[in-house]
Amino acid sequence: MTTGMQPAFSTAAPIKAAMDPIFRQIRDLVYKVSGIYQLDEKLYLLADGCGRRIKQLNIKSPREYWDLLTAHSSREAELRQLLNEITIGETCLFRSQPQLDALHKIVLPEIVVEKTKQVTKRLRIWSAGCSTGEESYTLAMNMLEQSERLLKGWTVEILATDLNDRSLEAAKAGIYGDYALRATTDYFKRKYFVTLDEKKLQVKPEVKKLITFSRLNLQDDSKMLFMKGMDIVFCCNVLIYFDGPSKSKVIDHFFSNLNLGGYFFLGTSESLMKLNDQFHLVHFPGAIAYWKPSLQSSKL
Amino acid sequence: MTTAIADTIRERVKRIETTPSIPAVFLPLLELLNAPPEDVKLEEVVKLVSYDNTIAAQCLRVASSPLFGLAKSPESIKGAVITLGLRRVETILLTCCLGNAFPTKNWTLDPSVFWRHSLGCAMVCRKFSEKLAAADGDKAYMAGLLHDIGFMVNCMAFPEEFANAVKQALQNQVPLDQAERATMGFTHCETGRALAEKWHLASDMVQVIAHHHTPELSEGAQPLVALVHLSDLLCRVRGMGYGYYECHKVDLAHNPAWTILQKEYRDLERVDLVRFTFELDEAVGEVFELVATIFGAAAARN
Repeated sequence: MTTGMQPAFSTAAPIKAAMDPIFRQIRDLVYKVSGIYQLDEKLYLLADGCGRRIKQLNIKSPREYWDLLTAHSSREAELRQLLNEITIGETCLFRSQPQLDALHKIVLPEIVVEKTKQVTKRLRIWSAGCSTGEESYTLAMNMLEQSERLLKGWTVEILATDLNDRSLEAAKAGIYGDYALRATTDYFKRKYFVTLDEKKLQVKPEVKKLITFSRLNLQDDSKMLFMKGMDIVFCCNVLIYFDGPSKSKVIDHFFSNLNLGGYFFLGTSESLMKLNDQFHLVHFPGAIAYWKPSLQSSKL
Repeated sequence: MTTAIADTIRERVKRIETTPSIPAVFLPLLELLNAPPEDVKLEEVVKLVSYDNTIAAQCLRVASSPLFGLAKSPESIKGAVITLGLRRVETILLTCCLGNAFPTKNWTLDPSVFWRHSLGCAMVCRKFSEKLAAADGDKAYMAGLLHDIGFMVNCMAFPEEFANAVKQALQNQVPLDQAERATMGFTHCETGRALAEKWHLASDMVQVIAHHHTPELSEGAQPLVALVHLSDLLCRVRGMGYGYYECHKVDLAHNPAWTILQKEYRDLERVDLVRFTFELDEAVGEVFELVATIFGAAAARN
C-alpha cells in the first residue's frame, strides 16, 4: 500500500507494530533469494535467527546486519548462515498434516486411477534431501496405512537421498526422540515403532523395508538423469540453499524425472517462485504442490 | 435450470417474510467512507454511526476487543471510529447490515462459518485487486462479501432441501455448489440472484452473485466475477471455506477465470501466487477474530 489508506486486515495488533521494520525487509530478501516465506506471526523466528547471528558476529544492530546481508562481498555466505538458523529444528515426523491429507485424499487416488491401465502396479516416491529420515518414514508409514485400501496390490518404493553421509547414517538407524516425534500420534507410535528406552523410539523393520537410502548430490547432472519414473517427489527446505541457476536446473531434473500426472511437493512455507513454467501450481486444502499434467488431464 | 425451477425460486424468495431491511444510515455512511481518505469528514462518520444503535454498539465492541490491545477501551463512538480506522468501520457496517437482515436462528449453515468465508473472501478480493493496480478494491470487497448471499436465501426459503445438500457435501467432502446441484437441481447462485434482483442491487453485483462459479457465463462485469471466483477458491483452500474438508484440487492459473482476468489486467502475469497465498494466511486469524467479535453479539441478541 503506497497510499495513506489503512489496509483492511493487517498491522492491527501492537505486537506486530513493535517489531523492527527491518525484519520485514529481511523477510522479503530471504524470500527473494530462497523462496522461504516467514509469516508475520512467525517473524519472531526470523528475528531470533538474526539475533543469534548478530551476537555471533558481534555487531550492534539489526540495521548493521541488514548491511551485511546486502553487501556484495558478504551477502551470499551470510544468507546461507541465516537460512541455517531459521530452518534449524524444523524437522519432525508428520510435519505437515495438510500435505499428508492432500497426499492420501487427492493425489494418491488420482495417480491410482491414472495408472490402472499399467500392468505393474508400482508407486515410486522420492524424498530428495531426506536429511535424517523423518519425512521418508512419515511417507512410508502413510503408504503402509493405505496398503489394505487404495494401494492394495501395489508395490511402493521410497527412494530417500541426501548429500550428507552422517545424516544418511542417522536416517538408516531410524531412532527418534520426543522432539522429532512431537507430531506423531500414539496410534502411529504403537504400530510402527519399538521402544528403545524411555526417550527413544526406533522405526520397525517393516517400515524401513519400503525405503532405499542413498547418497546423491542433486547438482550431479549425470546421476540426476537416471532418477526416472517418479510419481511423487518431496524436496523440503533443500532448494533454499541453491543459487538461482542451480535451483532451476535441479527443478528441471525433477520435472523430467516425474511421470506424467506426477506431483512435486516443497516445504510448507517454500515457493518455486517463477523458476519453472512447465509445472502447474496447484492448491489443496492447506497445501500447495506442483503438478506435471498428464496428457488426458491437462485441463481441470 | 428449467423455467419451473426458476419460477419456484422467485416465488419462494418473494415470500421470505423478514424482508431484509437496509438501515437508513447505510447508504449515506457508505458514500462518506468511499471518499478519498483525506477527504473523509470524521465528524460526519461519527454522527452517522451514532444514529444506529446496533452499528454503534458493534463498533464499540470491536474497538474494545483484544485485537487492538488497547490499555483502555474507547468510551465514545469517536474514540471507537479512530481506533478502528475507516476501513474497519466500513467492514462492520456492511456486515452488520447484512447480518441484521437475516435471522441467526435456524441456520442450516453455522452463521460464523458463513461470515468467516464471506469476510475472508471480501478481504482476499480486496488484496487481489490491490495486486492488479487497475482494479477497484472497494467494489471487489463488496462483491466478495455478497457473493454467497444465496446460501442465506437457501436457509430461509429452502431449509429442508438445503439441509440435505449440506449433509451430502459434508459426507462426500465435495464443494457445496456441486452438492446443491446434485440434490436440489439448482444452487445458491440462482437463489442469490433472485434476492439480488429483489433488492435491486447494481448489475455488477447481480452478475457476481449469479455467476461466481461460472464466470465465463456472466453477462457483464466478467473481470470482477472472475476475480471473485478465484478469491473464493483461494479462501476455500486456505482455511476460510465452509468448515469442512473439500476434496478438491485447484489450478488457479489454468482456470477460465484466470484467462478472463489476464485479458483485463496485464499485472496478473507478475503476481506470485504462492507468496500471495502466504500473505493471505497472515490475515486468516484476524478475519476469525473479527467475526467472533461482531457476531458473538449478534447471536446473543436473537
